[in-house]
Amino acid sequence: MSTALETRGLGKRYGRNWALRECSLAVPAGRVAGLVGPNGAGKTTLLHLAVGLLRPDAGSVRVLGDTPETGLPRIGFVAQDAPLYRDFHAADLITMGQKLNKRWDSGFARDRLTQLRIPLDRKVGKLSAGQRAQVALALALARQPDLLLLDEPVASLDPLARREFLQVLMGGVAEHGTTVLLSSHLVADLERVCDYLIVLNESRVQVLGGVEDLLATHKVLVGPRRADRAGPVAGVATVIRESHTDRQTSLLVRTHGPVLDPAWMARDLTLEDLVLAYLAEPSSGSLPGPDRLGIENGMEMTS
Amino acid sequence: MIWLTWRQHRLQAAYLLLGTLAVSAALFPIGRAMHSAFDNDGLAECLRTNGNPEFIRPAEGMGCGEFADLFMGRFGSLLPLGILLVLLPMLVGLFLGAPLVAREVEQGTHRLVWTQGVSRLRWATTKFGLITLFGLALAAGYAVLLTWWIEPLAAAAGSRLEWLVFDLQGVVPLAYTLFAIALGIAAGAVSRKLLPAMGITLAGFVVARVLVAWLGRPRYQEPIERRISVVTDRLPNELHGEWNLSSGVYDASGRQIVANGNRYCPPEALANDRAPGVCDPTTYNLEVYQPAGRFWTFQWIEAGIFAVLAAALLAFAVYRVRNRIS
Repeated sequence: MSTALETRGLGKRYGRNWALRECSLAVPAGRVAGLVGPNGAGKTTLLHLAVGLLRPDAGSVRVLGDTPETGLPRIGFVAQDAPLYRDFHAADLITMGQKLNKRWDSGFARDRLTQLRIPLDRKVGKLSAGQRAQVALALALARQPDLLLLDEPVASLDPLARREFLQVLMGGVAEHGTTVLLSSHLVADLERVCDYLIVLNESRVQVLGGVEDLLATHKVLVGPRRADRAGPVAGVATVIRESHTDRQTSLLVRTHGPVLDPAWMARDLTLEDLVLAYLAEPSSGSLPGPDRLGIENGMEMTS
Repeated sequence: MIWLTWRQHRLQAAYLLLGTLAVSAALFPIGRAMHSAFDNDGLAECLRTNGNPEFIRPAEGMGCGEFADLFMGRFGSLLPLGILLVLLPMLVGLFLGAPLVAREVEQGTHRLVWTQGVSRLRWATTKFGLITLFGLALAAGYAVLLTWWIEPLAAAAGSRLEWLVFDLQGVVPLAYTLFAIALGIAAGAVSRKLLPAMGITLAGFVVARVLVAWLGRPRYQEPIERRISVVTDRLPNELHGEWNLSSGVYDASGRQIVANGNRYCPPEALANDRAPGVCDPTTYNLEVYQPAGRFWTFQWIEAGIFAVLAAALLAFAVYRVRNRIS
């Protein structure tokens, strides 16, 4: 399995503050990866490092096997707020893409915008936010990227436009098997489209892995009331969150096998619950071991 | 990149071109009138016949001062217009240079254009290059027009090296324009916002221009001194073209008697001297000046200074774009 994006001990500092530190991760090719974290967690910094807008202060980053540099082909990027030249017509932007890129499909961009009933001959400043996001996406896809990075692409869109954007995105990348990394501070936005998840919190990678794996290895256990931080439960690797009522204790856990203890009732949880639980507990983490990532991981493991 | 530069900047370019044409249209008739007055109202004729020597003897004919005064009476009020005209290169820097990087970053579009298939280095060199070339083309037209326009005014006022007059002709307008554009671009690459970039450009242009003109220009070459006895019938010809840096009256021991002025006594005045000591023949006028013949040397030196500054600013802006803006 090849890797579309790989970072090792990656760090970026602004003055004395690290916006991103000791970030080691790999996004396997062909995946649609969600990059989740609260505002200020380092998502934009990571994406800018990946497209070469920023240079690292520590560690390294490789995209499609290359060190990132602006102007690389095969990498598409939609920056936050989908910046476009507002006094350009959509058709001008397509011409611009054609002039600036060796690999470029004008017909694709034009068809896509026509399908979405976005007028090509109107200034993009006069389009709605949803339409502008679609124009930006069409431009990124017209570069026929192998890796597409999107920074908060749906943050400024209403729910309907969000759904439509993500549909178009998934349709666009399915054809070529494009690897996608899209960031959001809302898990709900990504739940439907992602099969890989990266959670950034306080400048560090906290959770990393395939969505199915993560959901399969995280459970909510409900059982009789017990003391806080009581002994281990068979089959549980880490307790991420613990809460008690008068009669019951519920644990949000990462498992390393089936939980067979009849005292506990295991329940599946949603991706959103999982992410929120981790974000609330910055000291815990779920990262593949060094063997699985094939790299030295800078993150301290809690298990 | 060329298409993109054109598409992005065609409006600014059109406005600047229109502005330049409007200024030219306003200046042209005035220039025609000045040339016509200079050629036909006696000044040109007088300068030709007396050969415009370094010294004139007022007693044997008055030089051309009277014609020059006549001309300046008519057109001398135009000289303050020079203050506006010297600021025109700055406008090019403000409206063409400052937005180049600043507006891009302000609107976030640098992240769109830099993640296409051209490197930041190529983006920067193409855009900076084309915009600079356009600015230089405008400046060339401006310089040709103003060199022609200011010529009679400079001749009647005395020297082409004089403040404001020097700045409006020859090659320096091109260098100022180049500098203004480079300063605008660099200011935008530092501030990343349009208004501060324009502020820096405005302040930087004025400060650099004033400092170089005031501290540098009088010293590009060692000034020449001439001593002329107070008692003389040969006076320096004010139309000969010297750029006077200072003049004063000194006594035989070298002590200054009069600062910032001259004193001339015709020899016959000594006979009926009513104020003893004023026309002491051992006292002399000391004039420090740059001769007219150095005009082009000074033009190239000053143009060189601003061209070097501009090159440094552009290199700095390219560095900022490649390494400091994300």
